[in-house]
Amino acid sequence: MDTWRQLKPLEWCKYVNKEVKVTAHEKQQHHGWVFTVDPVSASIVLVTFQEKGGTPMVRVVTGHAVQEVEVLQEGNEETAGRLRVIFTPPGAHAFGPEEVRHRKERLRLWLEKNRIPVEEKGEMLCVANVLTVSAPYGAEDCSSSNEIILARVQSLVESNPDSTPDQPANS
Amino acid sequence: MRPHVSVLRLPRGPDPNGRGFDPNSPRFIALCPTTISASTETGTDSVQMREEQRARSVLRESFLRTLIAMTNKQVQFHMYERVKVEAKFGASDIDVLNFQVSELHTPIGVQKEALLRCQDVISYSFDL
Repeated sequence: MDTWRQLKPLEWCKYVNKEVKVTAHEKQQHHGWVFTVDPVSASIVLVTFQEKGGTPMVRVVTGHAVQEVEVLQEGNEETAGRLRVIFTPPGAHAFGPEEVRHRKERLRLWLEKNRIPVEEKGEMLCVANVLTVSAPYGAEDCSSSNEIILARVQSLVESNPDSTPDQPANS
Repeated sequence: MRPHVSVLRLPRGPDPNGRGFDPNSPRFIALCPTTISASTETGTDSVQMREEQRARSVLRESFLRTLIAMTNKQVQFHMYERVKVEAKFGASDIDVLNFQVSELHTPIGVQKEALLRCQDVISYSFDL
């Protein structure tokens, strides 16, 4: 009965993005797509998609109650994407490293165009030695001990005509 | 809306403190795991350890997102002895041993705030 809980994380990973049938204590049986397995409690998170695209149902089977896990179907890129999307909170942005670099470049050029002294210090943009901007180089990523400069640079960042509007993560 | 029941003090159970929540109670020690699953250092090289640790982080982060998605939602808890209760999920502790819930609907009434022992739960479900 303890075999499920004693699997290693890499073995649990093999069940992610697969449709499984979980048999639990007291003859409970549950189907669903495995979103994740908690490494601390060995709980299995199963997602069931509704037929007509309604809100998905999530069921978690606690690790200590798991008796058997049977794989019914392998998932693919599409199912992985669907699972990922439903747990991403609305408004979360995920930028790839390329895009982050572009954002930094665009911001640096915009600041220079407005005659603001800016230099690159590693991953951060340093403005006039009193303000830093870190990834992903939005208005909220500015940091300074001087309120006035902070406010001015923030409004400048927001008014950058070159910056692409933030998009939710694609899956 | 059903009226709330006042907090009942049930007769003392087998352990005098905390009814199984106390980390030193025999029930807690018997049921709650003291270690999490991990490879031992000897017999595995460091590359595999790194892989394992990365896998563990990814799995755990996904699970934490599940808990976040569950917050303030109505959750049905299926417990042992075919007990089914419904409540609004509040928070979990780090070891996923206790859940804090509100408006717990039980056969004897609605408890305004309650703590559920995860060891008593077989599965729980909610709609996103």
